[in-house]
Amino acid sequence: MNNNKIDKKLVAYITAGFPDVDFSVDLALSLKEAGADILELGIAFSDPVADGPIIEEANLKSLQNGFKMQDIFEISKKVSCSIDTYWMGYFNSFYHKGIEDISQLAKKLGVKGFIIPDLPHEESVPYRSMFKKLDLNLVNFVAPTDDEARVKEVVKQSDGFIYLVAYTGITGQGVDEDLTKIIQDIKQDSQTPVYVGFGVNEKTAKEKSKGVDGVIVGSAFVKVLLDDSLSKIQKITKISQIASNIKEAINS
Amino acid sequence: MYVPKKSKFDPDDNGHFGIYGGRYVPETLMPTLLELDKEYAKVRFDKNFWEEVNYYFNEYVGRPSPLYYAKNISDELGAKIYLKREDLNHTGAHKINNTIAQGLLAKRLGKKKVIAETGAGQHGVATATVAALLGLECDVFMGEIDVKRQELNVFRMKLLGARVHSVKSGSKTLKDAMNEAIRYWVTNARDTFYIIGTVAGPHPYPMMVRDFQAIIGYEAKAQILKKEGKLPDSVIACIGGGSNAMGIFSHFLDEDSVTCIGIEAGGKGIDTQQHGCSLAKGSPGVLHGQMSYLLQDDDGQIKEAYSISAGLDYPGIGPEHAFLKDLKKARYENITDQEALDAFVWLSQKEGIIPAFESSHAVAYLKKMKKEELENKLIIVNLSGRGDKDMVQAQTLIDID
Repeated sequence: MNNNKIDKKLVAYITAGFPDVDFSVDLALSLKEAGADILELGIAFSDPVADGPIIEEANLKSLQNGFKMQDIFEISKKVSCSIDTYWMGYFNSFYHKGIEDISQLAKKLGVKGFIIPDLPHEESVPYRSMFKKLDLNLVNFVAPTDDEARVKEVVKQSDGFIYLVAYTGITGQGVDEDLTKIIQDIKQDSQTPVYVGFGVNEKTAKEKSKGVDGVIVGSAFVKVLLDDSLSKIQKITKISQIASNIKEAINS
Repeated sequence: MYVPKKSKFDPDDNGHFGIYGGRYVPETLMPTLLELDKEYAKVRFDKNFWEEVNYYFNEYVGRPSPLYYAKNISDELGAKIYLKREDLNHTGAHKINNTIAQGLLAKRLGKKKVIAETGAGQHGVATATVAALLGLECDVFMGEIDVKRQELNVFRMKLLGARVHSVKSGSKTLKDAMNEAIRYWVTNARDTFYIIGTVAGPHPYPMMVRDFQAIIGYEAKAQILKKEGKLPDSVIACIGGGSNAMGIFSHFLDEDSVTCIGIEAGGKGIDTQQHGCSLAKGSPGVLHGQMSYLLQDDDGQIKEAYSISAGLDYPGIGPEHAFLKDLKKARYENITDQEALDAFVWLSQKEGIIPAFESSHAVAYLKKMKKEELENKLIIVNLSGRGDKDMVQAQTLIDID
């Protein structure tokens, strides 16, 4: 590891296929240009219980707009060779397609892995060996409510990166918590990079990135996706600008 | 004194009933659920805890509820029909059995705030009641549409000191109220106890709520043995999430001679898109922290359920029911809105008992049973709630002249 140069990563979440496949592809490639290291393609779900009002609204609008799982397959095909791509969705979206089938498809499309907020460690056990075999990462979540023993249990088998939830709450809103202790707990048990997510935006990114290897940004981008006063091109420009500002902030 | 017993249908350590159940929640909630699991294991068979629960069951709820021999409908159908009168409980339904026990558990865990989701408002009222009784702060989540439909229950909850949050997301009904309750819970995991209203949600809720509602089956079994000297041939209950059914079934599932029959909401008919039959028309999937049968589309998006009765208007079902269905340990049928309405009038006029719309589904099934299932047979119907709450809606639906 290079200790002299800071190289903190930026993970960018977008609601996939919203408003359409081509837009998502353009946005993903532009995010890559702006410095995003990993793309999270968010699968809209009817009941997104880990999400706050912004992503929840984007989920709903996307579904009303006719989002289908097929959309995410098409986007992945076009962007996965340019940027490390993960599928972020609620477990039912994957389970309903059959975990084996969807894993094979993810592999074929060049996807790196899955981020599934309602699949905690215990429930993931039956699927881990299959993911491993296909070299797909299942990202583990650590929450500020976890004690040291729980952190140890959760991170012992970690692939890709560890998703540290910044506060006790849902995406896009919440009160900052002191994560020093929990970051120490994670680092003690795992070499896997730790990225912090929930409530990360241009204002908070620098502070939140302290002690971790990168940040995950969702609501700050999705807010722009929902802004009807902007054209498609303006949305892509604005989101990319935010991404570039955040990337700079966390590495300054 | 009622104390639950281990059941051969108990889930495994992680809450799995076969493939169903489990804990599909954000990591933030896992420590809370693991703690609850540990604490519940401590009190599940603990005499002191159950002494307290039984005290409130008897003195506050008014238990045991009668097992009433419904002579008039029995004569009409040629069967011997008993009604388990959960409608006579304080607050008018079986819901209070569960909220009393969960409220006491919350206190024991040192939590001063409780939350609940509610559809028709019955579970919200039962939670607000217990919160008032035990001095707990109470927030109830209710879909905006239900808030309008059930104005009176909203007022009841507020009168009891609860805050009612009108949920404006998604379909604005029970499913979304539960989403919002979970979001609130994730945000306040450290000091808030979630009183889930049915045998659903992440482990240990399905087992815990079943244990709390199993007082119904425990009493009914003793009562029928005393009155008739034998077990019933069948036990019938309506199913939304499935707690009143799980409650009465639990003490009969081990008896091979007894058929347990759960009645789902057929809405406008099982071949339309407007019903609540997750078992009949759904497929396994994950919602609200558990795996069970769900109404969903080909992409796994959850469909909206429909029923005339807000208490049955839910696209999922408790995981133990899913398990029992696959094992064929219980039978599941459905009743349409119209059949339920007819039974609502029938029971009112024949027995002078006005059932809740939910319970009317169970009553209605009596009329659909085959002759050989009725003739000289002994049947218990769980009358899970009273119809007072449905009067305003009934007025617009039924022409009595």
